[in-house]
Order: sequence, then structure tokens, then C-alpha cells
Amino acid sequence: MTHMRKVTLFLILALVAMLAAGGLCFGAEKYPTKPIQVIVPFSAGGSSDLTARTVEKFWTKYSPQPMLIINKPGAGGVLGEEYVVRSKPDGYILYVGQGSGHDLVMPHLQKMPFDPLKDIAPVARISIHSIVICVSGKSPIKSMKDLIAYANKGNKVTAAVSTAAGSVDLVMRAIAKRANIPITTVPFAGGADSTTALAGGHLVIGGGHPSEVMPHIKAGRFRAIGVALDRRDPTLPNVPTLKEQGINVATWGSVKGVAVPLGTPPEIIEYISSTLKKVCEDAEFKKAMASISQPIDYLNTKDWTAFMQRAYKDYGDLIKELDIKI
Amino acid sequence: MDIFTGLINGFSIALTGTNILFCFLGALIGTAIGVLPGLGPAATIALLLPMTYVIGSPVTAIIMMAGIYYGAMYGGSTTSILLNLPGEAASVVTCIDGYQMAKKGRAGAALGIAAIGSFIAGTVAVLGLTFFAPPLAEFALDFGPPEYFALTTLGLLLAVTLSGGSITKGLIILFVGLLLAMVGLDPISGKIRFTFGSIVLQGGFDFVTLAMGVFGLGEILYNLESTLKTEIVTTKLGKVFPTLKDWADSKWAIFRGSVIGFFVGIIPGGGAVISSLASYAIEKKYSKHPEEFGQGAIQGVAGPESANNAASSSSFIPLLTLGIPGNAAIAMIFAALMIQGITPGPFLVAEHPDVFWGVIASMYIGNAMLLVLNLPMVGIWVQMLRVPYGILAPIIVLFTTVGVYSVQNQVFDIYSMLFFAALGYGMRKLNFDPAPLPLAFVLGPMVERSLRQSLLISGGDLTIFVSRPISGTLVAIFVLLVVGQTAFYIKRKTGGKKTPAT
Repeated sequence: MTHMRKVTLFLILALVAMLAAGGLCFGAEKYPTKPIQVIVPFSAGGSSDLTARTVEKFWTKYSPQPMLIINKPGAGGVLGEEYVVRSKPDGYILYVGQGSGHDLVMPHLQKMPFDPLKDIAPVARISIHSIVICVSGKSPIKSMKDLIAYANKGNKVTAAVSTAAGSVDLVMRAIAKRANIPITTVPFAGGADSTTALAGGHLVIGGGHPSEVMPHIKAGRFRAIGVALDRRDPTLPNVPTLKEQGINVATWGSVKGVAVPLGTPPEIIEYISSTLKKVCEDAEFKKAMASISQPIDYLNTKDWTAFMQRAYKDYGDLIKELDIKI
Repeated sequence: MDIFTGLINGFSIALTGTNILFCFLGALIGTAIGVLPGLGPAATIALLLPMTYVIGSPVTAIIMMAGIYYGAMYGGSTTSILLNLPGEAASVVTCIDGYQMAKKGRAGAALGIAAIGSFIAGTVAVLGLTFFAPPLAEFALDFGPPEYFALTTLGLLLAVTLSGGSITKGLIILFVGLLLAMVGLDPISGKIRFTFGSIVLQGGFDFVTLAMGVFGLGEILYNLESTLKTEIVTTKLGKVFPTLKDWADSKWAIFRGSVIGFFVGIIPGGGAVISSLASYAIEKKYSKHPEEFGQGAIQGVAGPESANNAASSSSFIPLLTLGIPGNAAIAMIFAALMIQGITPGPFLVAEHPDVFWGVIASMYIGNAMLLVLNLPMVGIWVQMLRVPYGILAPIIVLFTTVGVYSVQNQVFDIYSMLFFAALGYGMRKLNFDPAPLPLAFVLGPMVERSLRQSLLISGGDLTIFVSRPISGTLVAIFVLLVVGQTAFYIKRKTGGKKTPAT
């Protein structure tokens, strides 16, 4: 019996020692030592999700640990971000979807459960894309000038937008204000729905991300008449910006940024940011992003933080000017 | 390319060893997730998306994903019939008569006819997809907000009338469903409604949570009161497979369901739910014994199950020919195609004939595989009912809890499931039929959104609903049904005649 007890004791001690050694070993090992959870605050199949999944595909080329994508949709992105804000800042929770709009637009319209500028740490920007203004391929409207003339003749301009107070809705309202024409925005249940309604010719104009409208533009069902960015969109080099057409509207479109919970060690932020840079410079990644019509536009931590602050302020000014309330 | 050469080319792709294997894998995974509560085809395809990077050939990846999608529709009937657990909105209707059949010891016949009906409907829909896809695609685009409003309102009407019980109780449950659907963000203004300051509630309730609570857990709670009742299920298993009489009773239901499902399924969003509702309503009207509906009528299983399977195949039409994803699962397949560098849409047939025809050909094979896979399973599923309820019930609770959590990775959903379970229990105690609740919950937001969109477009002019051909026709059908039903009730009340108008 005593012999057995001794053996047991020895085994337990050995186990404890092994665990301790293992723990020390792990502690000394370089980040990352386990898969990184990536929180996407929108449902699977959307542009943020597609971007995250394309990054995931190439991430393992430059990092020993894979990404694990978890979709946490709800409340227009607020739910997923809130989860990240409350997560442990150990570097194993990554957030893809910063700058999507809920964090830049919504705080100006309603109370938020967190401060999108102060309660989360920006890491990098992966991509930015425009809002493309489209009409039906059969429509007589060929430019913004035509649209203004059409409206001034007393025709009703209805606009299909993805969601209320979303990025497309804001652009449409800004056009109405700056071009001084009435536009009735009709919100749908997301970009796919609003694009389908415009494809059916149920509304006069519509807008969306290039990834949503490109298949229809290629098929001749849509005609792009303007891009709401301060420069031309690389996926649609022939479409002039709104500014080029004399309408002073340029928004940040849809931004795909990466963030981590506040308090994450700076060396880990640096690791993620530099690894993402390598991914963004990968030739295969560029090809994959082009196939989902998502232009790559990398920014490092410092520039991305500055961008967020500026975009936040710009949206606040725009919302105040347009007097949007929900 | 000619349709026949295209199809032959497609079969030559789909019949290679690898593609047959992945088609089978898809069908198998689809059946499994259809049976398991919670995990739906959209989430499964999302989980498997990284795998498609490794597969390499896009057509193989899409063949597998399509298999998961229509396979899940097959599997979905299993839990609805055996345990009164609808995995998605389109299976709610199957529960009504399917579960009653199981209670009467005819689970095998119900499962068998569901599998046969699904096979026939799947094949009919793929034939339709093969020969009529491009012209029918334009039909999907004709559905604007007014058409959706007319269609979904018609769906709501069917949801109330399909339940056997009193119309008043049906209406009460309908409005409870509509109210629950309003929690969250207002679809037009984006305002927050009925959340009482909670952030989780901003996302609204989840369908799976509601269905699992009201049906699955609610049923278990109710059964706890009466242990004797469940004996019936376990003792009288009877013949496992459907008899020739069952087939004779349900063959027309299957064909009608297939045709309805095919056409309604083309319309993006809600197609499968509305087609199953419409099929049930039509079978009840056509039947010589409408009083059997709700008591275990085999047509009540055969029709809707065929309809939702046909709809799952025809929902590929807008995706493949227009590049329009009609629902969440199809949106994932859309995403998978995009990541592979293939843009679904009008150029797909010309640019990637191998993908277009390969996937269509694989659907013929996949449907046959599902039949072979599911028919022998019927015997095994029925055996499951031999498990004592005291053991089966906790297992169901465990699976539904895990399933509900897996939908959005939120603990809150588990609590709301318990709330819905209490609601479902109360409804059973007070003799309310729960079926209209999940249907109103799904259709309600579509009705509200499309009504307000239509009025925004027309500037408040209500004639928009009757001046357009499709919505005008649907509104006319709605009015006819309401007038007809009301006249029928008044006649029955005043005349005292018991004979139902057929």
C-alpha cells in the first residue's frame, strides 16, 4: 500500500513538474501559440466576412497559428464589437470590421454601449471601398447631371439603400442635399436585397459596394453613374467620382479595419499589424481580393488610428449638416 | 451551348470519382445537420468554406455545398416528424401532421413519404432548372416591394387558417408572433423597438431559438405531465414503410407540392416557407377529408415536404442566372463562388459551363443519393422512439441547447429559448395551436418592411398594390379567400349544415 502511495505521489509530483515546465515553456514561447479567434460582427457571406475569410486563407502563410472566424452578427455590428471590447486583451481575440459604419455613424445617432474610439485598440486597415451609385441599364439617366435634370422635371427619385442610416443611405441623403433635389430613400434588409430590387427596376437609383453591384454592371443590368469617394475606385476606373461631376459628396465608403481589445500588449499589436501587411502584399492575396471586388488599402496602426478619428469627425459633421435623426 | 450537350457535359463532370464522393459527402453532411437542431446549412457551409480552398476545383466545392443545402432540407423533416422540432421555418408545417402521425405509430410512413416526396420534388425542380432557368429568372426580378407585401400577407392568412383550431385563437397567436418579430431594429427607420435598454435584444429574437423553445422544449414540458401518452408511440410501431394506400393518397399532393415549390422557390427570400404553407392549404382544400388534417393526414406531410424541397432546388435559379442570392445559405454558396474567382450571373453558362452544368447534373445524382441514404434510415429513426422518454427528453434538451447556442454564439439565446418553452407550454395548456407563431414571426418582418417600402415608393398611394399585375392578382386571391371563408363560416353558423364545402 505504502509503495502504491509513493508511486502515486511521485506520479503527481512529476505531473505537476511537467505542467509547470510546460507552462514556463509556453510562457517563453513567442506569440502566437494557439489559434487566434477572429470576430466578424456581421453574418457569413457579407463583404466583411468575405474579407476576413480571404485574409484567413493567406494568414497561415505568414503566421504559425491559424485564424478561427466567428460570426457574431446583430444590432448592425454593435453586438460583435461589444463582445470584443469586453474580451481579454491577450492577443487571441481579433476584430475584423472596425470602421464598418456602426462605429463611425451610429454614435452620432444613438447611445452606444461603448466608445468606439476609446474602448478598442485599432491595429490596421486592410481595405476600403467606395459606394457606387447605379441606375438600371435601361434607364435614360447616364450621369449625375442627367439625374438632377430628371428630378428637376418633377419625376420622383426613389433610391434603394441597404439599411436605414447606413453608408449608402447617408450618401443618397448627402446627394439630395448638395444637389438640391428630392430623393426618397427606401431601406432594405441589406445590400443583396436593395441590389435585387434595383435590378428589377422597382426604384430609380440605388447604390452599393462594388462587390454587390459589379456582377450587374458586367451584365448590363446596372449602369454606374458615380462613385462617392474622394478618388476613383480601382475596381471601376472609368466611373467618375461625384466630386468630378460637381456634387461635393465624398464619404469613406466601407472600411475594413482590424482591432483588438484595449490593453493588448503593443508587441502583439505590432505582430498582427506587420503580419497583415505581409498578407496584403501577397500577390495571391491581391488576386483573391480582386475576385471579390475588394480593393486592398493597407494602413499601419498609427495611420489607421488617425484615419478612424478623422472619419468619425467627418461623419459627425455630415450627420449634423443633413440633420439625420432616427 | 445546347441544353442537352450542356447536360451531357455536366454529367461527365459530375460523374467523376471525386465529384461523386463530394456530392455524397455534401448529402451526408446536409442530412446530418438537417436532423441536428440549430446548426443550419448557412452556418455549416461557412464552417466548411476554408476546406474549399484546399479542394481546388471550384465545381467540386460547389457540388458539395449544394448537396449540404438540399440535403439539409431532406433531413429537416426527420426531427419535425419524430420530435415536433422544426429546424427551419419551412419545416413548421410538416410538424402539424407529421408529429400526429408519429404519435399514432405511423412515424415510418411519414418519414418514408417525406423522403419519397422530397426525391420526386427535387428531381422535378432540377428538371425545371435544367430547361427553364433563364426565362424564369426574370420572374424573380418582377417581385418588388408591393409583390412581396401581397405574397407575405397571403402567407399570413394561410398561417392562420391552416391550424385546425379556432380562428380567433389562431389570430391571437399570429399577433403574438408579429409582436415578437418587432423586437429589435425598426426595418425602415432603424429605431430601436421593445428592447427595454438591452443590447442583445437589438438583434431581435432568433428563429431557431423561438422554434426550439415553443415546439421542442414546450412539447417536452407538456409531455412531462402525461407519461402515459407517449406509450402509444413506442408500442405501435406498425409497418415501417409507407403502404401502397399511403402512396395512392399522397401522389398528387407530392406533384402539386413539387410544382408550387418550384415556382414559389424562385422568388428570393421566404420562398420555401410560403410554398410549404400554400401546399398545405391546397391539400386541405382538395382533400375529401379535410377534418383529418391536423390529426395525421399523410397529404399534410407529403405536400409541404415536396414543396420545400422543390423550392430549395429552384432557389438556385436566381443565383446561377442572375447572381442574386435568395437566402442565407445560397449567399454562402455565392460567397464561395466569388472567393474561387467565379462570378455567378448571366455569364456563368458561357464563361464557366463546367460549373453551371456540373452543379445541375450533380443535383440529379445528389437527389438519388439522398433517397438511398434516407430510406434505410427511416427504420433506424423509428427505433429511436423506442428509447424511454425519460432518457430521450434530456438528450433532446441537451441537443437543442447546444444547437441554439451555436446559431449566434450567444448565451442569451439559451435563456430566451427557456422563455419560449414556457410560452409553448402555456399555449398547449390553453389549447392554442402553436403553428402560426413561428410562421408569423418569419413572415411578419417581411410584411412590415414591404408595406412601408411600397408606400415610400408610391408616396403613400395605396393603389400601388392593385395596379401592378402580380401584386394585383395576389391581392385578388387574398380577398377571395377571406370572402369565401367568411361566407362559409356564416353559412355553417346560421344554416347549421355540417357538410364542408369542397
